[in-house]
Amino acid sequence: MKLTHDERWNLVDEIAIRTVKFGKYKLKLSDVLGELTVKPLTGLPVAVAVLFGFWSIFTSVAGTLITDGFMVKLFDDHFLPWVQAAWPDPESILYFLFVGNPNADSCFEAFGVLTSGLFVAFGIVFPALLVFYFVMTVLEDSGYLPRLAVLLDTFLHRIGLHGYAIVPTILGLGCNVPAITATRILETRKQRFIMMTLVALFIPCGAQLGIMLEVIPETIGFVFLYLIIGYALFGFVLNKLIPGKNPEILVDVPRYHIPVRSNVIKKMWMQTRNFLFDAVPFVLLGVFLVNLLYLGGIIQWLSEVTAPVFVTWFGVPKETVGPLITAFLRKDLAVAQLSNIPMTPYQMISAVVLVTIYFPCVATFVAMFKEGWKELLAAVGVLMIVVFIYGGIIHGIGILLGVA
Amino acid sequence: MTTEHKFASIYFGITGILVTGFGLTDILLFIAGSKYTFGLLFIPDDFFRGAWGGLIMVFGGLFMLSGVKDISNLQQFTKVFLGAALVWILAGCDLLAIFCGAVPAGSDSPDFFNSFSGFISEFAPPYTPAVLLLPFSLVILVLLYRWGFADSNE
Repeated sequence: MKLTHDERWNLVDEIAIRTVKFGKYKLKLSDVLGELTVKPLTGLPVAVAVLFGFWSIFTSVAGTLITDGFMVKLFDDHFLPWVQAAWPDPESILYFLFVGNPNADSCFEAFGVLTSGLFVAFGIVFPALLVFYFVMTVLEDSGYLPRLAVLLDTFLHRIGLHGYAIVPTILGLGCNVPAITATRILETRKQRFIMMTLVALFIPCGAQLGIMLEVIPETIGFVFLYLIIGYALFGFVLNKLIPGKNPEILVDVPRYHIPVRSNVIKKMWMQTRNFLFDAVPFVLLGVFLVNLLYLGGIIQWLSEVTAPVFVTWFGVPKETVGPLITAFLRKDLAVAQLSNIPMTPYQMISAVVLVTIYFPCVATFVAMFKEGWKELLAAVGVLMIVVFIYGGIIHGIGILLGVA
Repeated sequence: MTTEHKFASIYFGITGILVTGFGLTDILLFIAGSKYTFGLLFIPDDFFRGAWGGLIMVFGGLFMLSGVKDISNLQQFTKVFLGAALVWILAGCDLLAIFCGAVPAGSDSPDFFNSFSGFISEFAPPYTPAVLLLPFSLVILVLLYRWGFADSNE
């Protein structure tokens, strides 16, 4: 049956009359709250408070309760002495690879596959990711994230993006791999490239956040400050340099509501499952390969060769080259490794920022490759330049402040 | 505007001033680099709780103050509610931090879990301003239901 134009509209009217209930809409608290959280004057303070809550829950539950409260004791007081005693021949290569330093008092110092590898994976990173994804899922399912996208739209337009760019940015704080995939929600190639580069450069993943919290709890704020400034600064520069469009968005903002428990659990499981099955083998492999490189004298050789760049330009010890190699496999592991290198607090800040920005981990690298090899090559080119410039700037700031 | 509305305006006006005042004190003590303890009250001096938390307290107090005029209006009431919600975020985070520190036994102890008395003693005063102001800010929930502003589950 074919309907004419008028008949079709008549049918629409009839369906609407039968199905739509007309009446006077009464404004509700959640409606007004929704409005207030997208207006800059009231929305930005709320965003500052939500971020505070996010970080506070993350540090209290993952850091104080799980890692410091139970995992450190479990691994350092029980597991480490047992492995050190049970594994035969502390002088052997296998002992070095799997148990690490026989005189170590903590799993951080030992740096063996079974000691540091397991501690980093299950003692620090896993609890950190669980808590991170829980809070993020609650924010997402409650309807706050779309409002944050609207709120930050103006700022993100200045760096060539729009409000939805907050999705890959926040996802990147969990893991950079889904964040790279999430850049597809941006419309133009220019936007996707800028977002991909900024995620790879300035967004530390949840695993790295967990380790940073453990290794540099006092100075982590400065690392964040450098990363946020870098995100805004290089985003602005890339927006000016790269040709292309930055269209407006139309966002469907849902009402605030209480998240459904089963959905939260399902999402958390999906996200942490990836870590358990994909990332944990990389952590263990990372420790193994780095130990092999140390045994072969390759890291020591690289340290000597690259010393002028590291010591003179970046202002960090030449030994930092070891963690930077590890960072290609796992950045969390690299930060753990940095904790064993003697450094001043400012050098530690510089080194952690360098580990974050210098190169994406191998999993992110593969994700970027899937988005297009041309984009990957261009992003890597930008990465190299940014690391060199920004690393030097950070060192320069340290010199000016008299702390480098 | 009924007497109840007037009373609510005055009540949240005073609470708003207190919240803003404590927030500013938080920030000033962070700048001075000194903590402050007086009776039940404890004001920390670290960046996270002092400066960042203090800023949120200031915002919370200002939201309350901006909403007290014509509080019977939903738009205005929601501003007060939002101000109280910021105090809840801070107080909730402070209480959670105490809880997370109280559950495990100390690093010197061979046990994993704290004793019950040890756990309870961690919650002893002094408290941060947000925790002290928490009961006063919860009054907004009573008004939310009394005045029929709560969302129905249709």
